[in-house]
Amino acid sequence: MTGEMGIRSMGAQTPTGVADYFWAEAYERRRLESLLLDLFRRWGYSDVVTPTFEYAETLSERGSRELQSELCRFLDRDGSMLALRADMTIPVARLVGTRLHDAPLPQRYCYSGSVFRDVELRAGQQREFWQVGVELMGSAAPEADAEVLALTAEALRAAGIPHFRLVVGQMQFFEGLLQALQLDHDARARLTAAIDRNSQPALEAFLQETRLPRRQQRALAELPYLGGEQIDEILHRAEKLALNKTMQAAVANLYAICEVLAAQGVLDSVTLDLSEIHNLGYYTGITFEALAPGVGFRIASGGRYDNLVGTFGAAIPAVGVGLGLERLLLARRKGAAPPPPRPLAPDLIVSTGNRSDAFTFVAQARSVGLVVAIDLEHRRGPALCAYAELMGAQAAIDWGDGRPTLWRLDATQPTSSQLALDDVPHVLAGLMEARNIATASIQREAMP
Amino acid sequence: MTIRFDSGCDPVTIALPKGRLAEQAVELFTAAGLPRPELDNGRKLIVESADRTVRYVMAKPGDVPTFVEYGAADLGVCGLDTLRESQRHVYEPLLLPFGYCRLSLAAPAGRPDTPLRYESQPRVATKYPNLTADFFRARGVNAEIIALSGSVELGPLVGLADLIVDLVETGDTLRANGLIETRTILEVQAVLIANRAAYHLKRKAVEQIIGRLRNYLTGKEKRGNRDGGNH
Repeated sequence: MTGEMGIRSMGAQTPTGVADYFWAEAYERRRLESLLLDLFRRWGYSDVVTPTFEYAETLSERGSRELQSELCRFLDRDGSMLALRADMTIPVARLVGTRLHDAPLPQRYCYSGSVFRDVELRAGQQREFWQVGVELMGSAAPEADAEVLALTAEALRAAGIPHFRLVVGQMQFFEGLLQALQLDHDARARLTAAIDRNSQPALEAFLQETRLPRRQQRALAELPYLGGEQIDEILHRAEKLALNKTMQAAVANLYAICEVLAAQGVLDSVTLDLSEIHNLGYYTGITFEALAPGVGFRIASGGRYDNLVGTFGAAIPAVGVGLGLERLLLARRKGAAPPPPRPLAPDLIVSTGNRSDAFTFVAQARSVGLVVAIDLEHRRGPALCAYAELMGAQAAIDWGDGRPTLWRLDATQPTSSQLALDDVPHVLAGLMEARNIATASIQREAMP
Repeated sequence: MTIRFDSGCDPVTIALPKGRLAEQAVELFTAAGLPRPELDNGRKLIVESADRTVRYVMAKPGDVPTFVEYGAADLGVCGLDTLRESQRHVYEPLLLPFGYCRLSLAAPAGRPDTPLRYESQPRVATKYPNLTADFFRARGVNAEIIALSGSVELGPLVGLADLIVDLVETGDTLRANGLIETRTILEVQAVLIANRAAYHLKRKAVEQIIGRLRNYLTGKEKRGNRDGGNH
């Protein structure tokens, strides 16, 4: 045991940016993960599991430069370059583009898994983190975008995050603006950086260095203000600023999506932001992120990527979202303490004396949903009680001599009573009730 | 005159850099009609405005971008030097008219002023290792950056460094230490920064604050121009 001495040996430490999860916290993660996957399945999404690593080429050629530089690469035995997946979208797109393209469209997939980015650790960013999400493949309709947005909203509520905003942008609006401006590569990069940071200094410097016609200058200067909750008003202004068909189409697309969202009752959670141009390299239509109070960074993000699947084979339009599991948990806790750092307590500890009637009872208790651990040391009476209390159990049963004694530990003093076999259903029901009360107070699980 | 903010129940948190910049920021905020913090002798680190709509957090200047990136503060005031050096992901919606200075490269007075690209591997002392590294990398020079936390001018005097990169306001400190400013790396002034999430989640309140400041500043600029025209 190292205690507070610190772990000195390098071989016993974990590298930076990865973490162990255990006890109640690990349980909370798994619960949230399965709760979200269940929700996705109810919306018609099928499970998909892809490999943890792929050929580096598969991942790097399709991501942004940012994503490329963040890949964790290593060599295969034959010398080819491999990489850990940096997101789930590219692997799922590969699977559908190469192997599943002739199944009926649209195809709906949900996933959960860890992804890896070799980044400097910064706000809310580790090198390994978990994503739970969906990909909706084979529809370019605004209804598909709206479905993924509505599902994101429902997932956030189910995860216990009632207050959130979905900030929605459209890549094509900025893309169209760049087309109209006809900038060289360098100027493009500078402008993109300025818009990405919503930077007045950088944007002003750009406008001074680059001579632009008045109309273009106005569209650019207005871009940072094309955001907010007044959807109609913003889209109306954006429409007027549009310099070409691409920009007009982007606005029309947002109108159509917002109409469906309004019918689904989700529009109240939507904030538009046409200056949101966060791109992983493959987004072609709407992009969005989910924000929640108390967390300074996005807790989910997604968008439309109509050209990605096509790079693997069949051209299939698609839209998807990934929710960050760690960030969801952070948003749900909102500054409150993480779950208590201790193993999950069993409801009941049984000292069986290796008797078959004891094992039958244990099986019965487990089948009604109680968590039952067996005392491997065959403790008796007060010793069993002390052990069960240490483990945080509600009760213990001493079956050692064939006459089972039930010890209740949930009162201030342990109380013992003989356990009559025809009394078992009643006892189990009592333990279940105690368990449910305790669970409700510990888990703070949100009821959708 | 102050205005009431429609910020819901949560106050807007603004991180200010302890010292002169904070005083100037408070001066500007007050002049623009924003709720005034009751700054005491500077011991209290969190100060609320009387109407509790705005909360000011007094941070070490270099930490302001960190507070804002993590969302511990919704808005912040810092110098462009601090912001660029920190490489934090924040919005920077408004330049503020104070804290003017420049980040400069300086060399000992006797050193020949050759183009930088002729330098092979200069040793450069600085409090700004990231900006300095970027500056030399962009010119193809493999500089050895020596990160110090103060009294950078000492570097060349004691033979620790060939050059220094530091903030220059008047140039007096450089001259007193026999150094000459040779290049400007960054024109610095104060800037208002915003957390990306707060920008959307507290949009109304944040926009109100930025709008107030912007209106006040443009108004002042116009007033200034008019006054100038009278002479």
